[in-house]
Amino acid sequence: MIAGYLMTAPALIVIALVTLFPIGYSIWMSLNTITSTYNGFQFSFNGLNNYVTVFQNSMFWQALWFTVTYAAVTVTLELVLGLLVALALNQPIRGRGLAIAVMLIPWTLITVISAQMWDYIYNGIYGVLNAILMSVHIINVPVLWLGSPVTATISMMVADIWKTTPFVTMIMLAGLQLIPSDLYEAAKIDGATGWRSFWNVTLPLLRPSIGLAALFRILQAFGLFDLPFVLTNGGPGTSTTPIAMLAYKAIFNDGNFGTGTAVAVATVGIVIILALLSLKALRTQVGEIE
Amino acid sequence: MVLTLISIVVPTLALSACSPSNTATAPTKPRSSGAAVTTIQWAAGTISGTGLRANLIHQFERLNPDIKVKLVAEANNTDTTRAQLSATISGGSTTPDVYLGDVIWPGQFGHQHLALPLSDYLSKSYWNRFAPGLVAGASYHGKVYGSPWFMDSGFLYYRKDLLARYHLPVPTTWEQLKSEAAILQGRHAVRYGFVWEGASYEGLTCNWMEYLADAGGHVFNSSGRPDMNTPQALKALTFMRSLITSGVTPSAVTTFTEPQAMNVFNDGQAAFLRNWDYAYSNSQTKGQSTVIGKVAVAPLPAFAGHGSTGFACIGGWDMYVNPHTQHLSQALRFIQFMSSLQAETKLATIASEIPTNYAVQQNPEVRKLNPVLAIVSKTHLIARPSQTPKYAQVSQAIYTNINAALAGQVSPQSALQQANQQLANATSTNAL
Repeated sequence: MIAGYLMTAPALIVIALVTLFPIGYSIWMSLNTITSTYNGFQFSFNGLNNYVTVFQNSMFWQALWFTVTYAAVTVTLELVLGLLVALALNQPIRGRGLAIAVMLIPWTLITVISAQMWDYIYNGIYGVLNAILMSVHIINVPVLWLGSPVTATISMMVADIWKTTPFVTMIMLAGLQLIPSDLYEAAKIDGATGWRSFWNVTLPLLRPSIGLAALFRILQAFGLFDLPFVLTNGGPGTSTTPIAMLAYKAIFNDGNFGTGTAVAVATVGIVIILALLSLKALRTQVGEIE
Repeated sequence: MVLTLISIVVPTLALSACSPSNTATAPTKPRSSGAAVTTIQWAAGTISGTGLRANLIHQFERLNPDIKVKLVAEANNTDTTRAQLSATISGGSTTPDVYLGDVIWPGQFGHQHLALPLSDYLSKSYWNRFAPGLVAGASYHGKVYGSPWFMDSGFLYYRKDLLARYHLPVPTTWEQLKSEAAILQGRHAVRYGFVWEGASYEGLTCNWMEYLADAGGHVFNSSGRPDMNTPQALKALTFMRSLITSGVTPSAVTTFTEPQAMNVFNDGQAAFLRNWDYAYSNSQTKGQSTVIGKVAVAPLPAFAGHGSTGFACIGGWDMYVNPHTQHLSQALRFIQFMSSLQAETKLATIASEIPTNYAVQQNPEVRKLNPVLAIVSKTHLIARPSQTPKYAQVSQAIYTNINAALAGQVSPQSALQQANQQLANATSTNAL
């Protein structure tokens, strides 16, 4: 037992250094008023003042609400779409390897680059989307996709779902391949049709994978930054400003290191609660299977 | 043998002879070897998309064989560049040694110690070379933080071929510009009348300052209180919104930064463009423009009854020195070269920028080659309220709310109310 801890100690220490230290330092920063001097930062402890400032600011709640809505919609849709694609790819069809490779392309692209591409697609003057919709007479005048809060949010969600569904698909596909085929045989013998075998065999056994995918995606969705950074810079107005961009602007534009880190730490708190909840859901599911 | 000795001694002598004069104004760090070449890093954005930076570096290196300059690209918009530099420098990085920074930064960068107070290191006489007002603009609390490099201001670019064909005069009022643009659109001469920068970012604050000053408004009153919820401001914002609702300006302008506005104009799709100095040479560059030879530049218009020339927002870029630099004397020599007659003449003739060196600005030969410079004395300049370390928040309070009103999300009236409220917060507390 002790030997085991000793063996893993080096790795654990490295992990602690690269994760715990920055987190601890951020928390410490968020409890101080910080001024930048020629010799580095000067800290003066101010307790929870930064948090009071943050929680009293309507912009924080607006950004939090935007991020939560965004995460809820995109994660849900990505799970549904990812599952459907995984079910299709789990069939012994011809060219499956090629299909998987093609499907992974959006996921392998760096987000700022694919966001730039979506920016061209959504452009209100020479955008491809408007050109297509106008040529098939769905719309008569170009729509400014990134110019109003609702369309800008939806446009961003579409770009996110396009990019991240492959990731969910891969996790689901791995989960599907772990389900023993004799279970399906047994279900067949019991007279279960396709839909019932999906509902009673596939879905329960896939729950750990779904939980895992959801966990990863929620964490990523709360870190949303690059898509709005490229597509809208948080606009129009501040309507598409996610929480990470709020922290970024406070720290790097305004030099408010204290309040900026308070935003970041408060968000981490919220995300940890959400992550623990999904982990808990995941564990019970694993227990049920055993 | 004698020859080799001489060839070793002479360069050393030459170096030691010239180094005191070059660095007389700067504290020198003792260097172990006079022949060593020092490399300094210069962070700068593209200027007019030309090879200007490489050209100037090449010239500097020829004159200063002991210094090499490595160019580091800056982002293509001021907000991102500021975020990158402030993260790098506040973290204690020794590079870049010299960086090109916006004229609105001295307040914030001086306050946060992200730039070296150059006035502590360069002689008083150094600053005499600049055009009036520029050094004050680069100062904060009595110290000069930036060495002005080029001056920028808003201009009206127009299609002279179209105005001639339809017998329209160059507009001197906003109302006239709007109606002429509508006429040209009505005749199908162009798709859009007038394009400018309306996205939610710093550039919109610049555009806004121009309309606001034209209408007689201001951001802060004389006692420093936010005062943007006024009939004058309402007139300015209502007019900007009407450009969009009337179709003279495409609604996509609320997502436009400089490159997007420039593209539409270069593509021949717009009759008028509001943009900075560089737009002239940009619109005349082969391969990126279809309107070569068809463009002229004029001062921005005023509102009818408010004089014959409108206000133009002051922009521009200064050379700043990283306070953590390990190569201070080399960095200072570099920025001194960059504001010299030689470098500023290149800047003004290769790129259509307004030089900050007063002698170059006044040189008739240079003026002949730079149509933007020729009209610069006719414009009225309006500065952004950047003499505060909180300027980033001040500007954000302006551009987010103006952008929301332009997009039709809120009424001009409530956008101004909201902006005024946020300006008060920005200047008073550590708010977000």
